[in-house]
Amino acid sequence: MTEKVKFKWNGKEIEADKGSNLLKAALDNGIEVAHYCYHAGLSVAGVCRMCMVEQDGVPRPFPACNASCGEGIVVRNDTPKIKSSIEATLSFHLLNHPLDCPVCDQAGECGLQDYYMKHGQYDSQMVDKKVHKDKVQDIGRNVMLDAERCILCSRCTRFTEEVTKTHELGILNRGDHAEITVNEKLKNNYAQNLVDICPVGALTSKDFRFKQRVWFLEEVQTTCIGCETGCSVKVSENKNGAFRVKPSYDHEVNGHWMCDDGRNIYKHVSGALRLFGAQENLNGLFVPVDEFKTHQLAKGKTLKFILSTGLTNQEYEKFFEKIKGKSAQVALYVLPNQGEDFDGLLTRGDKNPNLRGARKAFEDAGYDSSQNALDKLLSSVSSNDAIFVVVPEIIYNEDHFNTLISKVEKAGLKIALTHGETLSTLRAFDFLLPIPTFVEKNGDIINFQNKKRALRSGISYGETSKDVSYYAGWVNL
Amino acid sequence: MKDSANYKDYALLSYHHIPGVHNLEIFERAGGYETMKACFDKDPEAIKEEVKQSGLRGRGGAGFSTGVKWGFFTKDRSAIKYLLCNADESEPGTFKDRYLVEKNPHILIEGMIISAWALGTQKGYIYIRGEFYHQAMILEKAIKEAYANGYLGKNILGKGFDFDLYVHRGAGAYICGEETGMISSLEGKKGQPKLKPPFPAIKGYRGLPTMVNNVESLAAIPWIMKFGANAYKQWGTEKSPGTKLFSISGDVNKPGVIEVPLSTTLKEIIEVHCGGVRNGNKLKAVIPGGSSAPIFNAEDSLIVKMDYEDVAAKGSMLGSGAIIVLDETRNMGEVLKWTLEFYHHESCGQCTPCREGTGWMEKILKRKEIGVAKKSDIELLDKTAASMRGQTICALADAAAMPTQGMIKVFRNELEQYVTTVAKK
Repeated sequence: MTEKVKFKWNGKEIEADKGSNLLKAALDNGIEVAHYCYHAGLSVAGVCRMCMVEQDGVPRPFPACNASCGEGIVVRNDTPKIKSSIEATLSFHLLNHPLDCPVCDQAGECGLQDYYMKHGQYDSQMVDKKVHKDKVQDIGRNVMLDAERCILCSRCTRFTEEVTKTHELGILNRGDHAEITVNEKLKNNYAQNLVDICPVGALTSKDFRFKQRVWFLEEVQTTCIGCETGCSVKVSENKNGAFRVKPSYDHEVNGHWMCDDGRNIYKHVSGALRLFGAQENLNGLFVPVDEFKTHQLAKGKTLKFILSTGLTNQEYEKFFEKIKGKSAQVALYVLPNQGEDFDGLLTRGDKNPNLRGARKAFEDAGYDSSQNALDKLLSSVSSNDAIFVVVPEIIYNEDHFNTLISKVEKAGLKIALTHGETLSTLRAFDFLLPIPTFVEKNGDIINFQNKKRALRSGISYGETSKDVSYYAGWVNL
Repeated sequence: MKDSANYKDYALLSYHHIPGVHNLEIFERAGGYETMKACFDKDPEAIKEEVKQSGLRGRGGAGFSTGVKWGFFTKDRSAIKYLLCNADESEPGTFKDRYLVEKNPHILIEGMIISAWALGTQKGYIYIRGEFYHQAMILEKAIKEAYANGYLGKNILGKGFDFDLYVHRGAGAYICGEETGMISSLEGKKGQPKLKPPFPAIKGYRGLPTMVNNVESLAAIPWIMKFGANAYKQWGTEKSPGTKLFSISGDVNKPGVIEVPLSTTLKEIIEVHCGGVRNGNKLKAVIPGGSSAPIFNAEDSLIVKMDYEDVAAKGSMLGSGAIIVLDETRNMGEVLKWTLEFYHHESCGQCTPCREGTGWMEKILKRKEIGVAKKSDIELLDKTAASMRGQTICALADAAAMPTQGMIKVFRNELEQYVTTVAKK
């Protein structure tokens, strides 16, 4: 148990761990403190000079990010002296900034804009020529660098040094000619975090830039389904679609970061091939069809379900409730491992987002979730069967999934429960029926630590009212 | 060098008149290394106390008491720690350490060995400015001689004390003269100062306790240990005891390095030691402590006493003791422009106020070049300088802001005229 101390920040009493970071304690307690270089997930640089404070009994102002919480200390950053120094420092930050907010993707979530509203000087005294630096630099891994917008807070260089330990970035030159440079292209699988931690528009995502203004986006707090780690993430979306995935702080699972693979999990949600209703395969061409037709064809057939590991606990539960006491066969398709088991940071080789939840639901309902059960189901496929395959939302290994599909070919009626027409292999199915994607349903999944993490629904981009349990209701009609 | 009738031997330059004293043999014949040998019989704590009693103040520029600084250092003799000699003398106008080391490298080595014994450091580095190639070679040779005589290395003089000394050449960055910047550079990183706290005495080179002292401070140690703290205090004032090297440049008849007791008047230094202002010109201004010290007008220059308190009382600082004399022919705008160009070039670029401020100040002063200069630019310059002070990790921002503000205070009219006058082509 760490010792707690109480101190005062601008007169407000704050309780924090003894010796913990003073700036973090203030931020955690809802106090707004301007800062650029400090990031809770990185070492302290103390270079932006925005979080300066005065402390009773200390002769000179100092940055709060390099101080620690002590019992009874009295700290202020609202004195006239500090206020004017923050103003001056902000004007130094903006001195050589290109002020290209109208074309900058950071606009709306930019540290410079935010603090300017509060600490800006408004009257420009700058008539001099600005320092010019390289603007459109592709530094690899979907990251674009605009050195002119950079305020040299060094968060990105510290990230590549301390978190990924890949050391691709550095600061070249001195004084106002200093700029971020890559000694080689970014090569780590966490590069998109650089875009998140950049407090200004210097590092932007190639995937996101010029697509949306951030003030038109809403964030859905959910969980990444890219692998079994289950990082907490925010998906930014609006009625035009989902646009990006960002990590959200979760100290138990992912801390501040997420991997680049996880950044792509939004793409199928509002993709061009999303399903809005049932579709029938007419010689390789999918055309909308009334769901009733599928329903009629399934009548009288033996129903077999192959579930994916990407459903929520609640979906499994409802599904098994629906088929309780009825004669349906159920098996679980588990995604194969992909890449190394664990990359040391977040990404795991096991790509099943809710394998633990699925296994438990199968067990609770008295079904076998093992590979044996799947093999048994597949070997018994006959023309009198209607087989429902829940297509995993993200398939890393298509060949493995193709093998599965090749084994269900003998079935009389082959139905894919899917969010959309995604793979060429889906042409093997007779019908496609829609189910919601991970940002269109509420529920829980269980990650690799056996921790429950929530999926939350935002805007719907397809038919989302029907889930797996709805189709389970077709059994034994 | 004994060409001045007024020249006296004091402490630091007392060997300098001996030809070939850079050779260990001649240095020893003149009494060198005797103090070191005597010191090995003394208690390290007693040496520290003696240095503290002498009131020696750090000669690098800040003027912090060397003895007190040593007091912050860990007393655990077995802990790995370093002694770092700051020979990165880069302040414009300063060339005292260069002169000291060039003529008499052994006095520094002797001082470092005594300091190492007192502090219990096992390794020492002399971080020397990159441009001082010749001096670095002299030091290398002197260190080799000291190793050969058993004054450095393992088990020095059979006392069971190990001390290795290395010369490390910088690459010419002013900021590497700042102690934490120097440590970064020595670690092989970009020369950028580190956040304090922790201070180097607690966590320095490679995260281990490191004592950083200026060449002149370390070179004064043998004399203090030989003659005692009280003898050292015979010179100077209570708060600024001892002698100091001054490097005088600019418009005097005889520029150079002199050693005089602290509290010697600037008038005496200029008129007696340096033979007066060149060509009989009128004195216009003096920068008393290197380019980062605020300037004195002629009036103040003639009454100021060169010690830490009196220079500070008159609004400047003694700094490294680099006296730059300017006569009536000098344009203060040019002086300021040169100063600002220097600090713009040397800012490490880490802290925003300094990175952007140094560049902007230069641009403001040069606005006439793009045809947008106004008289009020001087006001803006003053305000910009003021907002840089005390805002950064190291003192470089202050070093650029102080002379700017000082210059505006003393020569505002001349500067206003300077910025608005466009030179005819």
